[in-house]
Amino acid sequence: MLAFEDISVRYGRKTVLKAASATLQSGQVIAIVGPNGSGKTTLLRAISGDTRYDGTVALNGQDLSVLKPWQIAEERAVLPQISTLAFPFQVIEIVRLGAQASTTGHQDVIAQAALARVGLSGYANRFYQELSGGEQQRVQLARVLCQVWQPVVNGRPRWLLMDEPVSSLDIGHQLEVMQIARDFADQGGGVLAVMHDLNLTAGIADRVLLVHAGQIIADGTVDSVLTDDRLSNAYGCPIRTRSVPANGRWFLLPGTNAA
Amino acid sequence: MVALSTDSSALRDRRQTARAAHIWLIGLLLISSVASLAIGASGTSLWAALDKLAQGQELDLMERVVLWDIRLPRLVTGIVVGASLAVSGAVMQGLFRNPLADPGIVGVTSGATLGAIIAIVLGPLLPLAFLGTAMLPVFAFVGAWVSMVLLYRVATRAGRTSVATMLLAGIALAALGGALSGLMIYSADDDQLRDVTFWGLGSLAGATWAKVLIAGPIILGALLVSMTLGRGLNGLALGEAAANHIGIAVQRTKTIAILSVAAGVGAAVAISGGIGFIGIVVPHLLRLATGPDHRMLIVNSALLGASLLLLADVISRVVIAPAELPIGIVTAILGAPVFIWILIRSRGVVDL
Amino acid sequence: MITRRDFGLIGLAFAAQSGLGHAAQYNRILSIGGSVTEIIYALDQGHRLIARDTTSTYPPQALDLPDVGYARALAAEGVLSVGPELIIAEEGAGPPETIDLLEQSNIPFITAPDTYSRQGVLDKIRVVGDALQVPEKASTLARKVDGEIAAATHGITNGDQKRVLFIISTQGGRITASGIDTAADGMISLAGGINAISSFTGYKQVSDEAITAAAPDTILMMDRGGDHGAPDNVLFNMPAIATTPAGQNRSVIRMNGLLLLGFGPRTGQAVKQLNTALYG
Repeated sequence: MLAFEDISVRYGRKTVLKAASATLQSGQVIAIVGPNGSGKTTLLRAISGDTRYDGTVALNGQDLSVLKPWQIAEERAVLPQISTLAFPFQVIEIVRLGAQASTTGHQDVIAQAALARVGLSGYANRFYQELSGGEQQRVQLARVLCQVWQPVVNGRPRWLLMDEPVSSLDIGHQLEVMQIARDFADQGGGVLAVMHDLNLTAGIADRVLLVHAGQIIADGTVDSVLTDDRLSNAYGCPIRTRSVPANGRWFLLPGTNAA
Repeated sequence: MVALSTDSSALRDRRQTARAAHIWLIGLLLISSVASLAIGASGTSLWAALDKLAQGQELDLMERVVLWDIRLPRLVTGIVVGASLAVSGAVMQGLFRNPLADPGIVGVTSGATLGAIIAIVLGPLLPLAFLGTAMLPVFAFVGAWVSMVLLYRVATRAGRTSVATMLLAGIALAALGGALSGLMIYSADDDQLRDVTFWGLGSLAGATWAKVLIAGPIILGALLVSMTLGRGLNGLALGEAAANHIGIAVQRTKTIAILSVAAGVGAAVAISGGIGFIGIVVPHLLRLATGPDHRMLIVNSALLGASLLLLADVISRVVIAPAELPIGIVTAILGAPVFIWILIRSRGVVDL
Repeated sequence: MITRRDFGLIGLAFAAQSGLGHAAQYNRILSIGGSVTEIIYALDQGHRLIARDTTSTYPPQALDLPDVGYARALAAEGVLSVGPELIIAEEGAGPPETIDLLEQSNIPFITAPDTYSRQGVLDKIRVVGDALQVPEKASTLARKVDGEIAAATHGITNGDQKRVLFIISTQGGRITASGIDTAADGMISLAGGINAISSFTGYKQVSDEAITAAAPDTILMMDRGGDHGAPDNVLFNMPAIATTPAGQNRSVIRMNGLLLLGFGPRTGQAVKQLNTALYG
């Protein structure tokens, strides 16, 4: 369980996130959506410990502010939106950086398995800097998977926090990464992802938090949260949503007043 | 859980290369050490002296002075200084995520230089005669330490150290140190100017047991502490946020890195003057050879830095014997062309 | 480059020497400092020298001796390797660590005082003579040098003393000149001139206006040969100098550095040469 309560973040005098609260269950893929500048990434950064915040974040019942970095790292991994890397590390070396002290015995095996999971097993000895942006993003995902390879350890679910995990990927790899998130949740872990693409979100998310102007304005299933009025208001443009006739799945048509 | 599929047959693991390098570099250090003890301007023979000792004979005065009071403290100084400069380079580069960083860019060197120049120029006027020949190293160490801690304080707000602020403030502090040094130099007399120049070129010639006993433990302590930084610096290569995500205590890593470099380089520069190049070249060579994993890099840097400085010292005392070339000249003359050659060869293969 | 074999040879020579211990007279002498070396040769004791420092460049046969490096940055093992029984050094030789080690090695280390005056030269000659155990020769040399200085300075009246500016460098158009308490200042006084700059000690960069204000009648420089010193047309075209009496009269004296500033046995000769150039 990942719970946050009354999370507020200020940058200087500007409050970019106001009293956000939610209790998230593992076994689900939970998406944070919202327009640019709404505060959705800030919310994830607060939960990840990247930014100072007021309020509390608790992971499996423990307040993060009293835990050491390595204790937190045992229970959640974070995939940043943009990754930089200094020095010419090889791909497998980066994936191994995710390994934790508790990842005993099989660290190297897990690292290779994580690399295979993102479809890059042949890339182990390639230099990271030589890869394309999409490949680099998948290497980072492999590193994150290596960190929380088993979604549940001793009955405690682990969490994957992802900031726009598919932003630089083609459609095939987008679906692949979403499937990885789905599998992680299905095996008992928790996934919390900031998502830009609402259609992709609708295809995977069990729960959606819609953030607008620094506040969570709606929280629930795809169908209950992503309504035409709410989206049009939040994104500041007319938005129509439809259901796929065959299976009733939600989708959004780009453009105004689409039929 | 996904099946653990592995096709490790083709996988090359640079950690194994790096571990093998431990062995090679220990060998190199042993050879360098023997060379440092055996080769010198005087005709004193290490082997003859060992032979005498083995047979229970007394060494004569010249053997005792040359081997015990000159070459041995010089060997120990060379090892700790070389190791400290190379390790500090590796740590600074890891901390600043930049292969060009060395203790010079954060003002440690300029602080030490200012301290040394104050000791040379103002020393005779200060009521510190009790320090004797220890005055210069003490001042240099204090200069290095004060400048580093000052920078650290400037760059740290609410418990977080901004590496970028530290870099910028370091440039400013280095400029200030340079100006104050210039002020000292302006009021220096001719002989003091010569002393300042020679100090800046670096030398192990002034190595004594007294200096080894004071500076050695500081440097060794700093080296040992640095050895614990490997994982933290690896994490920092991903950026501070990602390092925190994978469980690195980022602020603690930064603090330890900064303080150990200040102590190690401060003490090293204090007893040997300005020796350039080791801190940049050694980590870079090792990164090319065995990869940037700091857990391996720091240990190997210590070994290679010590070896190279010992060899440079042997050259410095032999090449124009009985006179000596300042070692900073040797490291730069030999190091710079080799470094450029390596850069040309590896250009395009590996991004800095 | 020195080979292992050379070390061996030095070692043998060394072993042979160390057996001598405290003989009545030391015959393997290391001289540190240009003026000390000159004095040793002037005392006809040059044959006893086995090595010198970098500043010992006169007389020419001194250059054949091994060079142990710069006087203030001596390396202990380099010094020991030439196997000296006695070291005579000008004041200021170092560093202290090296001197300590030499003392531990039971090698007598004599320091010759270095003050920039007539008496200073005489003292230096006596100290070196005593160290070489040739005090009579030293007295003779000291008297000779004293006589030469006296002769050179004879007959200078205080009324028409010339103002002399000693310039050590004009690098990049910036003039570095001598204040007081320098060898140059001492020589200018001995030769009957007045140092045009008395506001600071040592050698310092001087502003153009300060040089104009100093109003030297003549410029004194070291003759370094080749193009190292500024040629006359460059020197006198420097704005600071052009305005001075020296610049208007194009008056410059160039002398060998060690001769002029060494305060050794040739000091009388140097004073005479400078005095003649000033007033001759």
